[in-house]
Amino acid sequence: MAISTKARSGLAMLAAVAAMAAGACGGVEVRDDSGGGGEGTTDGPLELAVVPKAVGHEFWNTVRAGAECAAERAGDVTVEWDGVAAETEVEGQVNLIQNFVTRGVDGIVYAATDSAALAPATQGALDADIPVAMIDSGTDPQPEEVPLYATDNRAGAAEAAELLAEALGEGDHDVALIEFQPGSQTNTERVEGFTEGLAQHENLNLVGQQPSHSDVNEARRVTEDLLTANPDLAGIFAANEPSVLGAVQAVEAAGRSGEVVIIGWDAAPDEITALREGQISALVVQNPFNMGYLGVANMVEHLREGTPMASADTGVTFVTPENIDSEEVQAVLEPSCDNPPVDQ
Amino acid sequence: MATVDQAVGWRGRLEEWLRERISVAVSEVTAATALAVLFIALSLASPYFLTADNLFNIGSQTAVIAIIAVAQTMVIITKGIDLSVGSVAALAGVAGAMVVRDLGFSVWEASAVAVAVGAAAGLVNGLLVSFARLPPFIATLGMMSAGRGLVFIVTGAVGVYSLPESFQLLGNGVIAGVPFTIVVTAAVALAVGGLLSQSRFGQHVYAMGSNLEAARRSGIPVRRNLTAVYVLAGMLVGLGGVIAASRVNSGQPNYGIGLELDVIAAAVIGGASLFGGQGRIVGTLIGAFLIALVRNGSVLLGINIHYQQLIVGLIIWAAVYFDQFRRRRLESRG
Repeated sequence: MAISTKARSGLAMLAAVAAMAAGACGGVEVRDDSGGGGEGTTDGPLELAVVPKAVGHEFWNTVRAGAECAAERAGDVTVEWDGVAAETEVEGQVNLIQNFVTRGVDGIVYAATDSAALAPATQGALDADIPVAMIDSGTDPQPEEVPLYATDNRAGAAEAAELLAEALGEGDHDVALIEFQPGSQTNTERVEGFTEGLAQHENLNLVGQQPSHSDVNEARRVTEDLLTANPDLAGIFAANEPSVLGAVQAVEAAGRSGEVVIIGWDAAPDEITALREGQISALVVQNPFNMGYLGVANMVEHLREGTPMASADTGVTFVTPENIDSEEVQAVLEPSCDNPPVDQ
Repeated sequence: MATVDQAVGWRGRLEEWLRERISVAVSEVTAATALAVLFIALSLASPYFLTADNLFNIGSQTAVIAIIAVAQTMVIITKGIDLSVGSVAALAGVAGAMVVRDLGFSVWEASAVAVAVGAAAGLVNGLLVSFARLPPFIATLGMMSAGRGLVFIVTGAVGVYSLPESFQLLGNGVIAGVPFTIVVTAAVALAVGGLLSQSRFGQHVYAMGSNLEAARRSGIPVRRNLTAVYVLAGMLVGLGGVIAASRVNSGQPNYGIGLELDVIAAAVIGGASLFGGQGRIVGTLIGAFLIALVRNGSVLLGINIHYQQLIVGLIIWAAVYFDQFRRRRLESRG
């Protein structure tokens, strides 16, 4: 209302100039040899950016192994592995994706630290004709041509509630939930899945829910405080690797190992040790190898043969002290490119 | 003439010294009152708060933050700031964990290694501040980034796991019924508190923070002392880092992101001034425990995590506001 027509046309001109400048800049970035992804197919070497939520966790190193395995099998594919230091560095990841777009990689395979904040980054890559595949965590909205290779977190967490109910048996029991990053999509799905699973068991009473912010020390602290506040606490579901490790430490320090049932998520070496020693009753184990593998394998097929990429559930395995030494479970726990835990 | 000037100067300095002493004491009393009120409120609100187990838990949970906040206070008194504490704690923690895993060091030897790593990082910070004349904010900002980079390089971005049970002794051990972490924290606080308030070095540290140029002119070896403060602070950060690693029996490359904010908050709530020359270890401990009580109480009472952060923010505002309000009143009276 307050803007005059003159000012408006001035703004429009400014916008036009800006658009032209942007276009000119964009023009510099266009590379003829890359084929630009999209509709065409590409022969020759491919360079793929593979970006985890954060570096520094066992989980993401397994994703990397899967991605590199798929790259090695496809041949002539380079995986550029880079990520931010912590899952909370959303802004940093946005910049990282933009930098890969600027660099003109052939494709981007990544896990979003924040579903809403990364949506424009994905769109930015697509606008630059760089195809994107999401692993572990997608964006919201997620463009139709962008697939997601991820765990069905909701179903896995609902099953965790089932495992907890089984381990605790009849009678009323107080249970607690250690979540990790409130607000992140993966966290929300696991919390909702677990709560829905709990609703099936009237004898289980959720008395506490605290986040670890994916920090083992923080997980230990909140678990200690939950144990103090709820002396009758009988079971804990810890929803990711640092949360599980901190919860195990807290229960052990309180001298209640084996008494308080812990259902965990993921399979870091110390989680496996704790499972074998009876401190953890069961682990919901994802297949991160498969995420990296499917992300890269499908991306390469898309770039070389034009096959559209379709989303897939990468599956979970429920690991208990009874089945841990079986062959299928070992393939998931100790994945290698010689015997990868993927459908071939 | 000279003698008269000197007499006036001495009296003025004495008055200034007294005034500063009083204003620091006032902010400590304010924070201590808040701590006591919160303590009593939590004792009434939760039947589980006032139990030996819970109090020991709070002590152990706060140990690392308290020790590193003590280090931060030393630096803040010199009118500096150390943003690198989180990265250096992580570096020292993974270094300690790695020498245990790979070289079979004992937990005590590993602690010495961690303290040495912290000292080395502190030495770099100190040399950059005192000899290269970088502002402390910039020198330690660089260390914050470089240190985190080093952590990821030496660990290959993988946590250091599969440590022997004995590594937990430092973080989980007990002496005469009291958690070892609490004993170590008390020893550190006493030693540094004594150093700052009783020794000549301590006097120099406050003098340098109040007026660096004046300190230099009066013959205090400013560069050497500043470097020493950063080295000492680094050693404590290294100690804190290895305790944190020991508590979770693993070296975590992601440990301590954002830790600098917690410890600066503890120091500031306890009366340390970012303008230098002010701050005491007692105040910092009170600040650290005030934050710890908010966190502990929130879990005991089932208060949402987001409120904890909100409450800590309000406490920082309130502490510094009352502090300045009272100081202004004192100064206008003086």
